[in-house]
Amino acid sequence: MEHLVISLLNGVIYGLLLFMVSAGLTLIFGMMGILNFAHASFYMLGAYFAYALQGPLGFWGAIIASPVLVGLIGVAVERYILRRVHHHGHAHELLITFGLSFIIAELVKLFFGNYPVNYRVPGDLDFSAFTLGGLNYPAYRVFMGIVAVSMFVAIYQLLTRTRVGIVVRSALYRPKMAEALGHNVPLVFMGVFGVGAALAGLAGAVAGAFYTTNPNMALELGVMVFVVVVVGGLGSLGGAMAASLLIGIVTSIAVGIDATLADLFSLFGARELAEQMGGIFVLKVSSLAATIPFALMLLVLLVRPNGLMGGKG
Amino acid sequence: MKARFFWIAIGLASLAAVPFVLSQGLVNAAIPMLIAALFACAYNLLCGQAGMLSFGHSAYFGVGAFSTIHAMNALGGAGLLPTPLMPLAGAAGGLVFGAIAGWFATQRSGTYFAMITLAIAELIHALAPHLKGVFGGEAGLSSMRMPAWGFTFGTTNEVYYLTLVWVALCLALLYLITRTPLGRLALGVRENSHRLSFLGYEVHRINVLIFAISGMFSGVAGALQVVSNEAANYVVFDPSLSAAVVLNTYIGGVNVFLGPALGAALMTFFGYAVSDLTQSWLLYQGLLFVLVMMFMPTGLSGLAVLAIAAAKRHGIRAVAPAAALYLAAFASLTAAIVFLAELLGRVFSQDYKALSQAAGSGELPPVLLFGWSWSPAGMLTWLVPLALMVLGIVCWRTAGGSLRRQADAAVSNTVAAAVTAERRPA
Repeated sequence: MEHLVISLLNGVIYGLLLFMVSAGLTLIFGMMGILNFAHASFYMLGAYFAYALQGPLGFWGAIIASPVLVGLIGVAVERYILRRVHHHGHAHELLITFGLSFIIAELVKLFFGNYPVNYRVPGDLDFSAFTLGGLNYPAYRVFMGIVAVSMFVAIYQLLTRTRVGIVVRSALYRPKMAEALGHNVPLVFMGVFGVGAALAGLAGAVAGAFYTTNPNMALELGVMVFVVVVVGGLGSLGGAMAASLLIGIVTSIAVGIDATLADLFSLFGARELAEQMGGIFVLKVSSLAATIPFALMLLVLLVRPNGLMGGKG
Repeated sequence: MKARFFWIAIGLASLAAVPFVLSQGLVNAAIPMLIAALFACAYNLLCGQAGMLSFGHSAYFGVGAFSTIHAMNALGGAGLLPTPLMPLAGAAGGLVFGAIAGWFATQRSGTYFAMITLAIAELIHALAPHLKGVFGGEAGLSSMRMPAWGFTFGTTNEVYYLTLVWVALCLALLYLITRTPLGRLALGVRENSHRLSFLGYEVHRINVLIFAISGMFSGVAGALQVVSNEAANYVVFDPSLSAAVVLNTYIGGVNVFLGPALGAALMTFFGYAVSDLTQSWLLYQGLLFVLVMMFMPTGLSGLAVLAIAAAKRHGIRAVAPAAALYLAAFASLTAAIVFLAELLGRVFSQDYKALSQAAGSGELPPVLLFGWSWSPAGMLTWLVPLALMVLGIVCWRTAGGSLRRQADAAVSNTVAAAVTAERRPA
């Protein structure tokens, strides 16, 4: 029972982390139609910047400065690269961001080496928040959860309650019309791109200390984030939240299950048959955990092509 | 038409002459080049012709590779087919898996399509190490090339010719497919699939067909790799292979049929040539890709087409200075970037940290690069790449200016000629 609660909690926290990265991605997509392949690279940059700035600025200073830097990089990418190729179409932009993700990963390897760096949870956050059935629950996980939730609340308030939010939402919904009404839509695009990148950077700065900070982290998380935005519905913030939590919980619970498909078949008295077929039927669910999100995504695309909460297709 | 056949014959003859001219090491390097060229062309059928951007094409390459290794190990090691026909097993694997995956992926188009292909590839990549029976786990599977048809397939040269024959055959087939009604319909899918469905075509069926054919030829490429390596590992499903084929294809240029093959062969060759010299080859490849996408979206082959057209129009002598300037600009910019990347790579390396700690606090020992030693704190070290970069930009600007002047001159000449013709009616 405790085990289930713990893995549920871990799943929720991982889901919230996924949401921090996918929120920016889905907003950018909804607005500009660009699926930013380099988005997870911004997450990685956030972690590496925080690691590098930790010395001079301390942990808290680094966690604040690193998203700002990443956001500025995001603004530069939008202004000087994506805007130039906008007239070639979305496929072209997707390819450019794909190339950028490649370059960022290689630059990180160049400066920090092709191995995990020693970015750790600071001493004053490294204690256990509570004990559950003899297991200590790290306070830092709770901290990550709080950061993600407060970020969600902040974005949501910003988008629904402020004037800036109204302009952003109108630019998202009908960019031409918003522009005709005198709003500077390119500036809004640039701002959203920068804020989205900064959010990913914040997620990286916070999560990099807990998970490992290595040059592959962008790829590992990036694929998962794509799954999240597709399952949630491209462009939908609420969908991204739901899908993040779903995928976080499903993977973290699946890791703890030792059953196989053959066990399922044994309910119908077909265990022998399944075991004879071997292969996928005798694999434990725990070792399939990494594949479940992809299978889920294919399923969602077949059943609900626009995602759980996707509006426009 | 005759000229084209002439050039194809020349190309094939020079490829066939490779083992007589080049060393065994280079022949060995030529095999992956040919395979990469075929893979890129198979990919281009999907992304260039039909406009479906796949980010998970390593899946079909890998499935082709593993079907081949199982076919080679079948019947107690005797092999299902004679060795020269082994790629057929890869083709079958790629076709079947391509049809299944394609049926899923082509339910959607555009960005969604790209994401589904990525998810399918990741699904296989995550699943493969766990399915030991099929994919051999971490160690992978190995096999032996059996002698057949009077060849032993024991030497590199024989493997090279086998690969060459298959690649040439497949490229010819891929080219012929672009001439069939299906190939023309693929273009239609890219340009306007709505219109195509209004015209009464079943767009989904066309998409699946194109996807499966592309998967089939990718499978042949995977099979050729297995035949040459006599082994396969689940690493072939790695996303880096999918990434490489995207980069190669677009660097080569998707608009010309052999463009992707050119890009893939060039990139594979450079990767082989510089792999012991630099750690940053992937960085250069990524930079080249982004630069190509930003400044010449038609790729290297498109650039060549443009250059030939300009030479035909204005005469080689008129275009030569601009071309030389562009080359100079490219060379000095490349030199600047390579210099910077290599310098930074060395300064930020683990060894250098140890070295500077040994030297004492605040001391930055010099770095050995291109045969000279450079001090990271020295002015000259940073002036060299800066000067190269400025030189490159100046050359670039001058070349652009001279081309524009020429174009203007050409236009005013035609106008002048037209005016004179009008004044003196015949």
